[in-house]
Amino acid sequence: MSSTEHEAFLRDLREKSLRQQEQFIGNIKQRLGRSGQGGEPPAHPFKGAPDFWQEFELKQDERVNLFMDNWKKAGGHAVQLRTMEEAKRFIVQLSKDLSAKQLLIQNQEELHAMELDRSLNGAEVSVWHQQQGLSVAAGADIGVVVVDYAAAYTGSIIVTSSPDKGRSVSLLPTVMIAIIPAERLYTRVGQVLAHFNGSIREQMPAGIHFISGPSRSADIENDLTIGVHGPGIVYALVVTNE
Amino acid sequence: MSGASHEGTSPSTVKERAEIALNNEFLRKAVKFTTERLRTGKKSASEEHGNWDLWRERGRQIRLHTIAHLDYYLSQFIENARANGVHVHFAATSEEAVELTMAIAKEAGARSVVKSKSMVSEELHINAALEKAGIESVETDLGEYIIQLAGEAPSHIIIPAIHKNRYQIAELLSKEAGKELPPDTSILAGFVRRKLREKFLEADIGMTGCNFAIAETGSIVLFENEGNARMVSTVPKTQITLMGMERIIPTWDDLEVMSTLLPRSATGQKLTVYMSGITGPRRPLDGDGPEEMHIIIVDNGRSLQLGDPEFQELLNCIRCGACLNACPVYRQIGGHAYGGTYSGPIGAVLTPSLNKNIMEWDDIANASSLCGACYEACPVKIPLHDMLVYLRNRKVKNGKRMMLESAGMKGFKLVMGNHKLYESAVKIGRAGQVLVKREGKIKAKIGPLKGWNSYRHLSALPKQSFREAWQELEKDLKQEMREMTAETKQRMEQALKTRKGGGNSHEQH
Ligand code: SF4
Repeated sequence: MSSTEHEAFLRDLREKSLRQQEQFIGNIKQRLGRSGQGGEPPAHPFKGAPDFWQEFELKQDERVNLFMDNWKKAGGHAVQLRTMEEAKRFIVQLSKDLSAKQLLIQNQEELHAMELDRSLNGAEVSVWHQQQGLSVAAGADIGVVVVDYAAAYTGSIIVTSSPDKGRSVSLLPTVMIAIIPAERLYTRVGQVLAHFNGSIREQMPAGIHFISGPSRSADIENDLTIGVHGPGIVYALVVTNE
Repeated sequence: MSGASHEGTSPSTVKERAEIALNNEFLRKAVKFTTERLRTGKKSASEEHGNWDLWRERGRQIRLHTIAHLDYYLSQFIENARANGVHVHFAATSEEAVELTMAIAKEAGARSVVKSKSMVSEELHINAALEKAGIESVETDLGEYIIQLAGEAPSHIIIPAIHKNRYQIAELLSKEAGKELPPDTSILAGFVRRKLREKFLEADIGMTGCNFAIAETGSIVLFENEGNARMVSTVPKTQITLMGMERIIPTWDDLEVMSTLLPRSATGQKLTVYMSGITGPRRPLDGDGPEEMHIIIVDNGRSLQLGDPEFQELLNCIRCGACLNACPVYRQIGGHAYGGTYSGPIGAVLTPSLNKNIMEWDDIANASSLCGACYEACPVKIPLHDMLVYLRNRKVKNGKRMMLESAGMKGFKLVMGNHKLYESAVKIGRAGQVLVKREGKIKAKIGPLKGWNSYRHLSALPKQSFREAWQELEKDLKQEMREMTAETKQRMEQALKTRKGGGNSHEQH
C-alpha cells in the first residue's frame, strides 16, 4: 500500500464521515426536538466539582503525607527526600539492590543532571529517544520519570507525553521510579485537571496519564495480583527541596 | 475464540439461563462473594469521601446537561478531535461499526489486533468479524483474556471472569502455554503478562473503548487498573477507539466529578490505577503512541432513548456496575442469565432499549425486584427501578399477553394499586419477593422469580433442584432485606400516585 493510496483511502473515509455527520447530528437534534444550526454554546451551570470541594486545600506537609499514605495503600513504595542528590543516591542503591541491567530515563534536565551512568557500573542507562524508544523500553528493568504533577487526595502522579517524554517509560519496564518535586504536588485531582481545562488544544500533550500505584488486577478469583501489564513495582520519591 | 461464539449454543430465555446459573453452585457463590466485596468497597469509598449525595447530584446534573445538549457537545468534540488529527467516523448500527473497523484493519494490512476492555465492542461482536477475515483479535484485559480463551461472554461489567475459579483458569492457560501451569494466581498472571507482552509488541492495531470523551479538546479518557489500555494506545501504529455517542462530557473540569464517581462506584478505589487522557495521535516528534488514530462514534440504538421522557436518563449511565453489585437478583444468578451484552438492572433496561424491541426481551424486566437498590447505588442517580416499571407497562400495553405475563402483571398491579399492600411489600423487603394473595390463595410471586414458578415453566424445570435453588435463594434474599431509604420510598410512592391518577396511559393493559 503506497502512501498516496493510503491518503486516498483516508480522504474517502473523511468525505463519507462528513456526509454522515450531518445525518447523525441531525437525528440527535430531531430527537431532542431542536432545529436549525448549532447555535450558542449552552450555559453549563454545573461545571466541575461542587463548590465546597473547590475550597478543600491541604498544607504542603499534609499533602506529602497524604500522598505517600495513599501511594503505599495502593501497593507502591514511597519515600520523602530532601534533595535531588538524595533521590539520585536512592535510585543508584535500588538499581544495585535489584541488580538492574537496563535503566531508561526520560530526556529530562533533572535526570541528566544526576549523571546516573557514572554511578552505575554494570547497568546501562538509556535516555528516551524518539527512535528506538519503544524497543529500549520493552527491555528496560527500571524506568525513571520526573512527574509533571501529583495529587495527594487520590495518591496519583501525572505524566504527560512529549518528544522528550515517552509514554512507554512509565509503562513497559518492570519497575517504575517517579520523582515528585513537592511543589508540583496538589491536593486535588481537579487542580491538576485545571491545567488542561480550557487549555489551547494545539498545546495539549497527546497523552496525559494519571498513575495511582502498581498495575493490578483482581480478575482471578478476586485475588489481587500486581504487575499484570504495567509496572508491578512502583517507587514514588517525593523531593521537598528544603 | 470469539466473544460471539457462545451465541449459537446459549439458551435463549432468561429462565433457561437462570436455570443454568442457579444450578451452578460455584458461579452463584463466586458472584455473591465478588459483588458483595465490590459493594462493600464502594460503600466505604463513598462514605469515606463524604458528601456522597452532593457528588451524585453533581454527576447527574452534568450528565443530564450534556445529554440535553448532545448535538452541541458531540459536534464540538468531533470538530476538536478532527483538528487533533483524528479520523472520526459514524456508525448508526453495529454493522456499520464493524464494516468501518474491517475497512481500516484491511487497509492497514493488519494481522493482529490487541483490544482493551470495551463494552461497545461487545455490542458489535467485533472479534468474530476480525477472525473471519483471518485477523487475530486478542482481548488483553486479564479477565477478558481468560473468558476469550474459554469462548464465553463476560458476566460482569467490571469483573468479566467472575464465574471462573483458578483451577478452571489454570486449565485454560495451560492449554495456551503448552505446559501445565499451577493454579497459583501470581504464576498465572505472570504467564499472561509475558504472553500478552508479545502480543502488544506484534500487534498492528490497538482497539480501545472510551469511558469519557471531552468536548472542549476532543480528548478521550480511559479508566483501567492493569495498564493494558495504555499498552493498546501506546504500542501499535494504528489505534481504533469505539465510542458510544453518549460518552461525552463538556470539559476537563467535569472529569473531576466523573473520576470521583466512577472508580469509587465500580471498585471502591479513589481512582483507578490508570486514568489516561488521549488527545489525538502522537505528535510529529513524539517517540511513541499511535501514528494514526480513528474514533468510531456508535449509535446502535442509543438515539432511540433521546427525547423519550421515560428512558432518556439511560444515556447518563457511566457503566460502573454498581447497580449490578447492589442488585439482590444479580448477586444470586450472575450476569450470564441476562444474555445481552449488559447485565443486571442496567442491562434489564438497556438491552431492550438498544434492541429497539421490548417484545423480544419479554422476560428480562421481570427478573428484577423493583426494590430500588440499583437507584440508591447509581452514582448518577438513574431511576432504573422506575424504568423497569415503565418497561413492563409498555410491554403489556403493546399487547403481549402470555399467561405468565398477565398473571404476573395482575399480581404486580395488585400490589402497586393497593397502598396498604404496597407499604407492607416495602416493609417486607426491598428484595421484593412479595407473595400476592388473591382470593385467599397465593397466585403470583412478585419479584426476582416472578413467573418462574408458574406451571408453564415448572414443567421445563427439574422440580427438585429448582425448588431447592429457590429456597436457598429466598433465604439469601431474606437476609439481605432492609428498610428502604426514605428517598427511595418517596420515589416509589410518587410512582404509585402517578399510576393511580386518571388518564395515565400506563394504566391500561
Ligand atoms: S445505571 Fe448507574 S449504577 Fe448502573 S452501571 Fe450505569 S451508572 Fe453505574
